Amino acid sequence: MRPRVFEETVLPHLDAAFNYARWLTRNDIEAEDVVQDACVRAMRFFSSLRDDDARAWLFTIVRNTWYSRVSRRGHVAVGSALNGGQDQWPDNALDPEERLLQQHTVTVVRAALEQLPVDFREVIVLREIEGLSYKEIAAVVGVPIGTVMSRLARARDRLQTILTLASPKETPR
Amino acid sequence: MSCELVERDLDAYLDRELDAESSAAVREHVRTCAACRRQFAQREALTRLVRGAPYYSAPDRLRARVFAQSTRSNSMRRVLTWAAAAVLVLSVGAGMTVWRPASSRGNVIANDVVSDHVRSLMADHLFDVQSTDLHTVKPWFLGKLDFSPPVVDLASIGFPLVGGRLDYVGGRPVAALVYQRQKHTINVFVSPERDDPSTRDLVLTVRGFNLHHWIHDGMSFWAVSDLNGAELSEFASALQAP
Repeated sequence: MRPRVFEETVLPHLDAAFNYARWLTRNDIEAEDVVQDACVRAMRFFSSLRDDDARAWLFTIVRNTWYSRVSRRGHVAVGSALNGGQDQWPDNALDPEERLLQQHTVTVVRAALEQLPVDFREVIVLREIEGLSYKEIAAVVGVPIGTVMSRLARARDRLQTILTLASPKETPR
Repeated sequence: MSCELVERDLDAYLDRELDAESSAAVREHVRTCAACRRQFAQREALTRLVRGAPYYSAPDRLRARVFAQSTRSNSMRRVLTWAAAAVLVLSVGAGMTVWRPASSRGNVIANDVVSDHVRSLMADHLFDVQSTDLHTVKPWFLGKLDFSPPVVDLASIGFPLVGGRLDYVGGRPVAALVYQRQKHTINVFVSPERDDPSTRDLVLTVRGFNLHHWIHDGMSFWAVSDLNGAELSEFASALQAP
């Protein structure tokens, strides 16, 4: 096997890294900074890249970079879903089979995703938009596969609720 | 299987992450239970919706900055490598045999396939012929190759054909067929089967890309994508049994 070159191994995943960072930060400028820092780290630790999965490896570095920036700033608004996370979304207004998931524009979907707590948001993004397997998500997020499974299910429950509430009230029955 | 158990497994079922036995159990339950069937349909709709969420591509200036950084760090590494090599030559002296890592032809080809895939995406040269119509793509290869690649469209199961081009794998011209799955590009390299038999039916990951290789009707196929392994497998089996 040829020696691996950073440009060929990691740079093809720059779009994916940026997309993930953009969804984590919800901000263009910050996502750029995170990805640039992450790439500097990736270059430094390039020799530690094993088992050929450069994309998941880069995601992990992006994630760690972002978390360390956030904690350095003492930012608390990250909004983890995992402590005391009861749904604030009332269930009683729902009429799921009728109104569910209809006529949502991209804007509505984006807004719904952005209001998910980050732990939920990232598993949805990694699964649905980046197409990672549970095993890969487990490696990036640093949790067991069973946790990925249950977190994803809860994230989809929450998203389903948000989108159902966001669907037009005047939808004919 | 009870509704509670199905509810627990429904997402994994949807994501094709369940083993065959549990999958069959969920499928059977969903077939007979209206409530679970509705929940499953909602989940599918949700998934489709979310896959239409924006994909944020890296801005050009970020790409340029990262590229500049890596070039700088490469020249530093090259200096260090030369220094290390010089030390080695000095200390070992003459009489040393050149050591090379063993590499099978399959490895070489797999590496070529990934490099071609990456190049096709980076250099913005994905197509020579851009068409979703297989009756346009297939004839395009006539007269350009000494074989006729089988071309099928898999749009009906979510893998539309988007075009084709000529490429090279292992130093030989091949037909490259391009398919799409949401935002993911799949390159399929097709050529007459001339490789040694040990490279038959491979599933592997190289530099973060998933690869499938198989032989069918005397043709060698390499499918490569950053798509996850399960979906690429689905694509590969659909191509093999259209």
